[in-house]
Amino acid sequence: MATLRAIFAHPSGRIGGAIVALYLLLAVLGMLGLTPHNPLTQHRVERLHAPDSTYWMGTDLFGRDVASRLMTGIGQSFIVAFFSVAVATLAGTVLGLAAAWFGRRWDGLVMRIMDVVLAFPAILLALLIVAVAGPGTSTSVIAIAIVYTPIFTRVVRGPALSLKAREFVDAARTFGSSAGYIVTRHLLLNLVAPLTVQVTLALAWALLTEAGLSFLGLGTQPPAASLGLMLSDSRNLMETAPWLMIFPGVAIMIGILGFNLLGDALRDVLDPKMRRSIA
Amino acid sequence: MVRHIGKKLLTGMTLAAMVAIAALPVQASAATLHMAWSQDATGLDPHKQTAFSSLRLLELIYEPLVRLDANLQITPAIADSWQFSPDGKELSFRLNPKAKFQNGAAVTSADVKASFERILDEKTGAAARANFLSIASIDTPDPANVVFHLSQPDVPILTAMSDVNAAIVPASEIAAGSIGTTTIGSGPFKLEKWDPNSKEVLVANKDWAGGATGVDGIDISVLPDETAILAAMRTKQIDFALLNDPLVATLVPKEASLQLNRVPVLAYHVLQLNPSRKPMTELKVRQAISCAIDRQEVLDTASLGEGKVTGPLTIPALATDPKQLFCYKRDIERAKQLMAQAGYADGFSATVIGATGEPPTAAAEAQVIQSQLAEIGVKLDIKMMELNVYVDAWLKGDFDMAVALNGGRADPYTMYNRYWTKTGNLQKVANYIDDTLDSLMQKGRTETDPAARKAIFADFEKHITEMSPWIWLYTSYSYTAQQKNIAGFEPVPTGSLFSLAKVTIQ
Amino acid sequence: MNYLMRRLATFPLVLLGVSIVVFLAIRMVPGDSITAMLGTEAGLLTPQQRDALAAYFGIDQPWFIQYWRWLLGLFQGNLGISSTYGRPVLDVILEHFPLTLELALLSMVIALLVGMPAGIFAATHNEKLSDLGVRVVAMIGQSTPNFVLALLIIYTLSAGFGVLPAMGEFSPLWQDPLRNLGQLLLPAITLGFAFAASVTRISRSAMLDVLSDDYVRTARSKGVSARGVIWRHALPNALIPVVTLSGIEFGYLLGGAVIVEQIYALPGLGRMVLDAILQRDYALVQGSVLFIAFNFMIVNLLVDLAYVALDPRIRLSEH
Repeated sequence: MATLRAIFAHPSGRIGGAIVALYLLLAVLGMLGLTPHNPLTQHRVERLHAPDSTYWMGTDLFGRDVASRLMTGIGQSFIVAFFSVAVATLAGTVLGLAAAWFGRRWDGLVMRIMDVVLAFPAILLALLIVAVAGPGTSTSVIAIAIVYTPIFTRVVRGPALSLKAREFVDAARTFGSSAGYIVTRHLLLNLVAPLTVQVTLALAWALLTEAGLSFLGLGTQPPAASLGLMLSDSRNLMETAPWLMIFPGVAIMIGILGFNLLGDALRDVLDPKMRRSIA
Repeated sequence: MVRHIGKKLLTGMTLAAMVAIAALPVQASAATLHMAWSQDATGLDPHKQTAFSSLRLLELIYEPLVRLDANLQITPAIADSWQFSPDGKELSFRLNPKAKFQNGAAVTSADVKASFERILDEKTGAAARANFLSIASIDTPDPANVVFHLSQPDVPILTAMSDVNAAIVPASEIAAGSIGTTTIGSGPFKLEKWDPNSKEVLVANKDWAGGATGVDGIDISVLPDETAILAAMRTKQIDFALLNDPLVATLVPKEASLQLNRVPVLAYHVLQLNPSRKPMTELKVRQAISCAIDRQEVLDTASLGEGKVTGPLTIPALATDPKQLFCYKRDIERAKQLMAQAGYADGFSATVIGATGEPPTAAAEAQVIQSQLAEIGVKLDIKMMELNVYVDAWLKGDFDMAVALNGGRADPYTMYNRYWTKTGNLQKVANYIDDTLDSLMQKGRTETDPAARKAIFADFEKHITEMSPWIWLYTSYSYTAQQKNIAGFEPVPTGSLFSLAKVTIQ
Repeated sequence: MNYLMRRLATFPLVLLGVSIVVFLAIRMVPGDSITAMLGTEAGLLTPQQRDALAAYFGIDQPWFIQYWRWLLGLFQGNLGISSTYGRPVLDVILEHFPLTLELALLSMVIALLVGMPAGIFAATHNEKLSDLGVRVVAMIGQSTPNFVLALLIIYTLSAGFGVLPAMGEFSPLWQDPLRNLGQLLLPAITLGFAFAASVTRISRSAMLDVLSDDYVRTARSKGVSARGVIWRHALPNALIPVVTLSGIEFGYLLGGAVIVEQIYALPGLGRMVLDAILQRDYALVQGSVLFIAFNFMIVNLLVDLAYVALDPRIRLSEH
């Protein structure tokens, strides 16, 4: 509760929170079907219609309402981004901490496996997963999560190693604190700041990776919409119907902005050092 | 702060200058045609390549015995003249005495014989082999004459011989096993360099029997993104380009300096149903689907109206007016009745597969069809796949429905015997055959009278659209874009770029 | 030194792992070299024809025999022959690598030159208007898909100004440096924009983090000037996350930038691998993934060594 209040007190927290809340609202409305038009209905006589009072953001190649598709697309994109980053964060944190804490063989093993994953071209990975599991939302989530797990592992491991070598961990150890206590109390808490930043970065990356997968035809399947698919579908219509690129592009941008602002606020609020300096 | 801005400005200007320098056109010989396409050839063996770009490249290097012109009439290539025997079981060719391979050797009947024996040899893996199975033996009475003895009358074989997949290659190269690594053809251009997925350099073949070429050479660049091709044409880096996506092609006429060439092609966009899978096993369900689809609308949306609604026969001389075919005018009421009669008044669910970007309109077609079929309760799930994954599923017949762009041929028998005869190699993909179809195809193969042949295939077309194993949608255009100072290019329905041999830069 | 040797000793094992995974992975994807070459026309082949082509492509044996053969070749320094290029795989890779390396280096230089100063500037002007400006630009950079940026750049230049770097024929650096840089500049900016944005954010937050740290505060209170604190105390510590990020990003870029290479028609490693996958050029896929993996591991090793250089408290024996 105190955290929430602190976020609201934070200027970027307020803006970021408002954006994220707005997007959540739009996504929920989109999922409930409360869109200006049906996002899947093809208004055939009104293909590639420029924005006007009926179609606020125009229509696409099929005469579907872009505004309505944007609302459902936000939902779809954020589902993919949230879940893939959640999986990657969880897996990466556990693996990174384990590697840093146990050191030696564990560290070597974990980091070498991560090397294998990292070294694997993401496209081949995506192709493979799509070929095995079939294209779709869950496939995108798995593919993106696998790509980002090694990054989280490395991001956690580096600072964790550095922290582990610091005086206060040594001190805690000499005072007989258990490993679990030290890891959660000292390491994890001190990792919250870099992790939060990394999560907001990764959310942005995930949105973009989903767009990239869609560009290569491996992401969200039509006729469903995601911001990335809408953007990549617009590429050859950029000159004929620029609104098809502008609106999803701006939507991605503002969404990521919201995440980042919120992430910055979270970092400031959660970081004990920061709290000290604020207090 | 001011100092900082100044520095940035300076850096910015340096960047701009570098881009500008790089943008200056390369000084090349004036008569080199700079060409671009988005997909590169995949190999150089004319008997084994079937990819569109490979064929287009190899047609400039190799020659078949005969060639098709813009009206799909057979014209001379390596052969000067040809003749069927009265019983239709002997086909003889007289070779052009001037025809020469790019290694200087004359093209002789022995090369023709060796080439066809290579195609027929199963160890070669030639895809066109299936078209030449009626060849019983090949005689070479003298170096300039060659006679094919056929096991049965086979009219379509002559058209099949016009394909670059039946190109004549040197017997010496076959013996050396170097077809596909060295390219020695008899065509208007020699391949000087090939960097796969990057570029080809072609130079004019001075000894070409067809006379002098209009340009000294052709540089082909692979620009995978068609928007980038258009951009490169705007800045005059590229003189001539192949375009696939109608969304990009329709932007070309808006540029004052560019010209778009388009020609209706033989290939057809089709919704393939799989009649071995329930409920497409039911004739009435298939017919209902045919009646529920508005073909014109699929064309208008997916290809921006660039094309023509078509029946199975896309060859202009043989095609029936689509309006006379079964349910070519959308009839939702009738579709609903048919569904009800088949016991599917509530509809059903099925999956439609398509290849990503192959053709570029595939995903759009699937979405329009999905929305149209929803009106009769058919719930379609779209699965777009990487081309190879799609081909694998397609060849195994592992799909409920598939959107496809299938290649056309200048002869309906060659085009369709693989699907719609009892022994067709792709019967396992088509999954539908009946006696009427099979016997019409056999009759069409042996009939030599053009009028009678036309009637046979009209019956074929009428029958197959009624049985609706597939829903033929439309034919689109093949597009090439060019600078207006390029003259002499003549687009043809097969998509061939052979007339580049006569193109000049003004 | 001991540590370095031990790390290097793990390389073969990782590469073996990568090679097995990639070998199986590419064969698990439906379709093969034959369907890649013939498309749907492959359905016209008789079984004998298919066998002949399978033998030609070397895919007629069970996978473990194929793998064993490949592995034997590898020990003799032979990565096999690419079926699309008809040349040794290693030659093909080495031909595509310089472009990728150059592009990766250029993007990183752009990213670090722009990102680090911007990040430090923002951190030292925390929560001021200028900080906000930097952050907004960084966020725009991070939120623009690179294909959108690439298409916009190409469209604006060609339609608006009638210029465009030479597309198609690529000139290597040693043949025509000016033309080469002109061709690579826009792709490098396209890639560098997002990269710079990440660097800005990371360095800003790391800098803020360090500036609030005890020893920096101590230094400040001891009267060390603000500038001195930033350069001597804060920066080296703030560099750790920047190095991590840049290392990972650089490693990725060494694997090729598929989409950017496609749009700018650059014959780099990324497009080569994608085409090899699409054309089921098994030998080339295996060889290039192995090559990319090797580069990646080298970069990672350098990143780890850089940690030590930057933060002496990390003892290598702990690794």
